[in-house]
Amino acid sequence: MPELAGKELRIVGFLCNWCSYGGADTAGVGRFKQPTDLRIIRVPCSGRIDPLFVVKALINGADGVLVSGCHPRDCHYSDGNYYARRRLEMLKQFLPFMGIDGKRFHYTWVSASEGQRWQKVVTDFTRQVHGIGPLHEKKEAAK
Amino acid sequence: MTDKGYLPQDKWEPFIESLSNDFRVYAPCEEDGVITFQVLEKGKKVDLSRPSTSAPKGVMFPQSERLFSFDFKKAPESPDKMAVELDASTNMPETVIIGARPCDAKGFLTYDRVYLEVDPYYRERREKTTVVGFCCNGPFAGCFCTSAGGGLAEKEGSDLFVTEVDNGYFLEAITEKGKKLLGRPMVEDGASHADAASKKQEQASKALQKVIPGDPEPRISREAFESDAFWDEVSAKCLSCGVCTYLCPTCYCFNITDEARLEGGERVRSWDACMFHHFTLEASGHNPRGRKAMRLKQRVGHKFLYYVDKYGTIACSGCGRCIRHCPVSVEISGIVARLTEGAQEDQKAAEARS
Amino acid sequence: MNAQELRKAAKEVLPSVDVVIGQRAGFDPLHAEPCFATKPEDVDDFIASPLCVHNLASYLPSLKGKKVAVVVKGCDSRTVVQFLEEGLIKRENVTVIGVPCSGIISVKKVLERVSHEPIQSISFDNETVTVKTNKREEKIPLLEVAPGKCTTCQYPNPLIFDVLVGQKLEPRGSAEAVYDDIREFETKSLEERKEYWEKTLGRCIRCYACRNACPLCVCQESCIAETRDPHWMSQKDDPKEKMTFHMIHAIHLAGRCTECGECERVCPMDIPLGQLKKKINMGMKELYDYVPGINPEEKPPMYVFKVEEDKIEEHELS
Ligand code: SF4
Ligand code: SF4
Ligand code: SF4
Ligand code: SF4
Ligand code: SF4
Repeated sequence: MPELAGKELRIVGFLCNWCSYGGADTAGVGRFKQPTDLRIIRVPCSGRIDPLFVVKALINGADGVLVSGCHPRDCHYSDGNYYARRRLEMLKQFLPFMGIDGKRFHYTWVSASEGQRWQKVVTDFTRQVHGIGPLHEKKEAAK
Repeated sequence: MTDKGYLPQDKWEPFIESLSNDFRVYAPCEEDGVITFQVLEKGKKVDLSRPSTSAPKGVMFPQSERLFSFDFKKAPESPDKMAVELDASTNMPETVIIGARPCDAKGFLTYDRVYLEVDPYYRERREKTTVVGFCCNGPFAGCFCTSAGGGLAEKEGSDLFVTEVDNGYFLEAITEKGKKLLGRPMVEDGASHADAASKKQEQASKALQKVIPGDPEPRISREAFESDAFWDEVSAKCLSCGVCTYLCPTCYCFNITDEARLEGGERVRSWDACMFHHFTLEASGHNPRGRKAMRLKQRVGHKFLYYVDKYGTIACSGCGRCIRHCPVSVEISGIVARLTEGAQEDQKAAEARS
Repeated sequence: MNAQELRKAAKEVLPSVDVVIGQRAGFDPLHAEPCFATKPEDVDDFIASPLCVHNLASYLPSLKGKKVAVVVKGCDSRTVVQFLEEGLIKRENVTVIGVPCSGIISVKKVLERVSHEPIQSISFDNETVTVKTNKREEKIPLLEVAPGKCTTCQYPNPLIFDVLVGQKLEPRGSAEAVYDDIREFETKSLEERKEYWEKTLGRCIRCYACRNACPLCVCQESCIAETRDPHWMSQKDDPKEKMTFHMIHAIHLAGRCTECGECERVCPMDIPLGQLKKKINMGMKELYDYVPGINPEEKPPMYVFKVEEDKIEEHELS
């Protein structure tokens, strides 16, 4: 896997415990190469993700935020990701209104067995965020 | 050095500009229809045509200020030990406030009694700040300075007092600080304009009738003040927001919080307001002022009773901001008028007659 | 609007409730204020005019347990409907006195029109406002000094009421036009938008009037802006904190905001807060075909889901 050009950016990932965190683990165990910009925070369910988490991260230093949960119909708590989908879609459409590129935020579904899909999601999203560049002045990001 | 100066109209702007070279100058500036006190820079529009939305209190008592910062440092040789570095340095520049209304300037005196002796941060700012007050031409909606021991030409609280006359500005030094500004370039001798200015001031003082009885200040009847029914009634519409307190030139409550990151942070003092539910919320969950009626009672009581007990004068300069900008038109002057001793006696007399 | 008829209706309702909330003249000719009437004499103070800017429905949830009658305009009635959708009030405890409305004033706009000269009187006649100051008299078409919501008002008639006072009116302009301002803002570049909000929200003094006035801000005392545990926001006077707070206020109102305009009206710093909420509502209509405060039987879009969403598509990464 080629290293992405330039400086490492800060990307925060919120992954659900039951699927996507497992998927990331599978990718790790399989030693799939991934960019290193992502910092993962594990949450019980994508339904736990308050848009506040994403907004706070983007305003306070993150260049991108990735959210990943169980595929629809696979939620461990049966409905969490359905609520998440409605909320996160709303957020994705709102960010550009405030002047934050919607491409800095991505939400998707990765199951625990999809190591390879995880690798692709992380790589592609990281590339997408690098394509836009850093969101914060250097000075602030260093804080 | 003289204590009277004059600036012709065309020298006014250059004069303020020249101040900017030596001071940090705050002036009421208009942006999107809102006037607030801002640091004067190129491109800012100074607007003295009406009272600013927020008082200039932030200059002396900022919305939030760093009291000190702290950094946790681990020594590489003994990682179990943590050193804390504190930095409480301050760096407040010499400052001039231009265009304070008489009520704004008088407001600072309310803070002085409380903070000047005991608060080094406030004291440093206060000592480095010169207040240039402006005589009001006429009152605006809600203004009641003349009922609060002040007036449209009240000079107390200003270091230099400006009156618009004879196509220019008459400058009157009230304090030594004010006198210093008179020594600056462009200021002409003002003696020949003094008469016109005092006439103007006299006129201005008469432009606003008293709306609350009491001379010079209103006195609240304790008995009336303690009536719960009264506070329930006047607070029913209140939203418990921070508009009245945050815009007020005499409200001075604060909160202190540690805004920390992993490796350090700051201790911050920020405005707080007795109208907020959180203000008196205790760690146990109990809130001694849990209802908005109690909070409005506190706000009025603090200004017109408790502060008077302590310092001998009220803590309100009658600027009218809390009335003008209250989302639901809570009118403090009306509330106080109903609570004054005179009003109470009148009411009792009326009841006795009927 | 006719004050006599309104007072009559309110007096008829009064014996069966604890309080009737209406509006009466405020401290100056330009302001009306909420009035909590418990006696017939109080009702005599009620006015009905474009000065009645307050959304009185906001007080309903805080008067839980009481029988309350409330005077509402068309837009305010949507707040009542939304409360019912969300179970925040009990229908049987509320008597709605509906008043069709042809527009209200914006205090800020009126003052701007007369260069902030102190107002001596204001009167209304057939949707013309006559304002007298100590220097001049101006006749202004009402809609020129009305808040934005009035110029494109789709619901001049209360959507829910027990008593209706006055004649029903026609909506103004097309439903599409309601969001013209948002579409126009979206022609700006991302940088311009960011700059605009940083500057505008930068004026915020964190007084929280916008939040406290909002009928649908239900957290109130547990708001993320002030809680210390969890410590979501600092108390610093910092643009980042203000941006966070306002984005969250808007997001929490997603599919719930009835565009009553109170947040914007009460802001002493004149920040166009309604824009944020309108933008989100626009999306709610497009994505979930939902408009808040219309049908008490509906559920807000964030309370429900579809296993197969009609309009949400997977986002491709580039
Ligand atoms: S009196 Fe007015 S400004 Fe003050 S808290 Fe109540 S509603 Fe807000
Ligand atoms: S209490 Fe009201 S009138 Fe008095 S100084 Fe404060 S804002 Fe002005
Ligand atoms: S309260 Fe008095 S001093 Fe203050 S702006 Fe009004 S008239 Fe001027
Ligand atoms: S967000 Fe503003 S417009 Fe929407 S319901 Fe609340 S106060 Fe009304
Ligand atoms: S009302 Fe205005 S100033 Fe107050 S918190 Fe809301 S946006 Fe900020």
